[in-house]
Amino acid sequence: MHDLIPLNLLSPGQYANVDAITGLPEQVHRLEELGLRSGTTVEMVQSGRSCIIRLAGHKLCLRADELLQVLVRRGALA
Amino acid sequence: MSPMTQRSPFTVALIGNPNTGKSTLFMALAGVRQRVGNYPGVTVEKKLGRVRLGDRDCQLVDLPGTYSLAPRSPDEMVAVDVLLGRRDDLAAVDAVLSIVDASNLERNFYLLSQALELGLPTVVALNMVDIARTKGLKIDIQRLREQLGVPVIEVQANRRLGVDELKTALTEIANRRSADKQASAAPVISPFPAEFQREVARLQNALDQAHAGDSSVRAPAVTNSYHAPWPRYLVERLLLDTSGYLQTALLANGQVAPLDSELQAARKRLAAEGIMVPAVEAQARYAWVETVLRGVVQRPATRVVTLSDRVDRVLTNKLWGMLIFVVAMLLVFSSVFVAAEPLMRAIDTVIGTIGEAVADRLNEGPVRSLLVDGVIGGVGSVLVFLPQILILFFFLAVLEDCGYMARAAYLMDKLMVHVGLSGKSFIPMLSSFACAIPGVMATRVIENRRDRLTTILVTPLMSCSARLPVYTVLIGAFIPARRIAGGLLQLQGLTLFAMYAIGVITAAVVALVLKRTLLRGPTPPFVMELPSYKWPSPSIVLFRMADRGWSFVYRAGTLILAVSVIVWAASYYPHQSAEVDYRLAPRLAAIEEQQATLGTNSPQQAELAAEQADMEHAIAAAYQRDSYLGRLGQAIEPAVRPLGWDWRIGCAAIASFPAREVVMGALGVIYNLGSGVDVGEEADRDRLAGRMQAAVWDDTGEKVYNIPVALSIMVFFALCAQCASTLVVIRRETNSWRWPAFTFAYMTGLAYVGAFLTYQIGMRLPPF
Repeated sequence: MHDLIPLNLLSPGQYANVDAITGLPEQVHRLEELGLRSGTTVEMVQSGRSCIIRLAGHKLCLRADELLQVLVRRGALA
Repeated sequence: MSPMTQRSPFTVALIGNPNTGKSTLFMALAGVRQRVGNYPGVTVEKKLGRVRLGDRDCQLVDLPGTYSLAPRSPDEMVAVDVLLGRRDDLAAVDAVLSIVDASNLERNFYLLSQALELGLPTVVALNMVDIARTKGLKIDIQRLREQLGVPVIEVQANRRLGVDELKTALTEIANRRSADKQASAAPVISPFPAEFQREVARLQNALDQAHAGDSSVRAPAVTNSYHAPWPRYLVERLLLDTSGYLQTALLANGQVAPLDSELQAARKRLAAEGIMVPAVEAQARYAWVETVLRGVVQRPATRVVTLSDRVDRVLTNKLWGMLIFVVAMLLVFSSVFVAAEPLMRAIDTVIGTIGEAVADRLNEGPVRSLLVDGVIGGVGSVLVFLPQILILFFFLAVLEDCGYMARAAYLMDKLMVHVGLSGKSFIPMLSSFACAIPGVMATRVIENRRDRLTTILVTPLMSCSARLPVYTVLIGAFIPARRIAGGLLQLQGLTLFAMYAIGVITAAVVALVLKRTLLRGPTPPFVMELPSYKWPSPSIVLFRMADRGWSFVYRAGTLILAVSVIVWAASYYPHQSAEVDYRLAPRLAAIEEQQATLGTNSPQQAELAAEQADMEHAIAAAYQRDSYLGRLGQAIEPAVRPLGWDWRIGCAAIASFPAREVVMGALGVIYNLGSGVDVGEEADRDRLAGRMQAAVWDDTGEKVYNIPVALSIMVFFALCAQCASTLVVIRRETNSWRWPAFTFAYMTGLAYVGAFLTYQIGMRLPPF
């Protein structure tokens, strides 16, 4: 019932669950090393083309990139 | 191989994620007994320290902060090479000290799981437990120790708590190691599924055999028997690295293709079993992390909003955050200008006094001139940058250490993305308005190599404080003080603004072009951690300041001094001039004779003294005109004529290549005012402006200077790479002469074209 949307469409304060990251394998790998991987819960802190998200223990600044999409499912519980 | 392998000290490598307090722990362990340098061939800082473990003097290597030991570039390869003992310039590592941030164990343990695969004895330093506690986290350290199987020691690096316990744990490892070298090797803890490990073993065999049969396979430089010929970890990385970087880095050309087909086959076999490369790495490691952390971390039911969160809400706000950023930058840079100014003057005065004292004790001649103008002047031109470097790095270190720098990069990213760079390039560029040297040094925070190089290459285009005197003198002399646009704008101010804008716009264009041509390549996604705010550590701030200052004075200084001496020689020798011998010297002698015959209190004495000074300046000018530099200036006159310049301006421009701030002194000599022209003094400035306004062409007798000529000179100085110090610092930061050579060539080329266009277009416009 919850649709997949790009991470950037979340508004500040919203939580979501990372469903999939699409892009070059090496680049997806880099995000995973930073803790951003499918299954993790993210909270949008500051939205925008460069956004700030909160993961389990830290905050990341991430710039939207056509070649690297983070797809999330909205409404996941914190 | 290296002398260190004979009796190498017990070596501990410190690894950890960025922002985990790694530098603080390094400082707590090594104190001031540390050395900072560069690994040859890459742009990675090499930080070594000494630490006493029991009765042993041990070496501590601080590896650059990283989230992963998965090298995709030569810079990232350094850490892996150090850990595997593959560097000739460093002893093999005997133990790993892994620092982890207690409030984010999951991500920190990803790196730890890679480190544990190296087969080296490892100690975990659990840092910032206090901060984790404020976030409501509870950590069962005893349980963690049991599940992890390696020593875990709670530390608070900033308060030096737990440091002794860490040393004890490391001493135990060192004792075991000296007792039995083999027994001290730790078992490899691999989180990968059995199928994957089988493929790694198979590849390792194949590579070792190829190595035995063919010496062209660049087998890793093994300095002891501690590791197998092909380290297991490297083989595993070859299998995981789909980018192809490692193959080209580790293998000789002929070896890449056969290995590649083997790797492809192995990956295909794994895919058939449902194991995807490289995705398997994150899956396997995070699964391992989950097992190791089971029951260790207790999270609060609702997330605790910390002070750091509340501060962040303001500082990253699109309106307030931006305003605070602008105000902070204004404060930082005005204090760099304001606070550095008196110090720079003081250095100038001291150097000048020493020069005079030396001059008084020596006879006129090449030795005096070399010491005073070459050596002491050269030392002065190095030291004078020091206040700006120290003050700027004080602020940058404070902002960096408290965690604000990442926020600044976030705020500026929107702007910098338009020129193909990221927010991290903003601060170095801004710093360059004060001086490009600290600006270039500040690019170390940019991890992406292409971004860092681009930033380094365009940073010297920002108008630094040394260009300001050129602008002020020329604008004051030739640009009318007129109000335009209905009195809203003042033409002189507008010209000054235009000079700064030319640098900024050119830098933006050059950055865009570089990113699309020379430094083209896949843009890695821009991801950056925003660390929690903390109080900056005074020792780290002071150390970073001292390190930057020292590395400039010591490493750059020697070369700058050499360049200064060469330019001095070119403008001094051959120190012969027919004009001096036949015309000026006899006249000076006549004046001096007249002074001697007239009584000391004759009213004519003042007039004679002035005449004497004029004559001395004329002699200096004649010597310079006939020096090698002067002859060069005359030889290149045809080249600078299209810019509207006569040989005198050309000569001054050439003399300013080591350091553009000498241009006023050079012009002073050329226009017979002596070299002591101080453009900070209005009287001197007016005198120089007056001489320039009166200057005429040698052949036609027409005035040399008009508005297009003045603008053409300013544009040239705005764009030209006239600073040996900057070029030497670029060499230091990029570890290659290629980039400073490139910077010099492109900037000088642009400066010439810019000055040419300015003059030619200016002359075709209706007179102003």
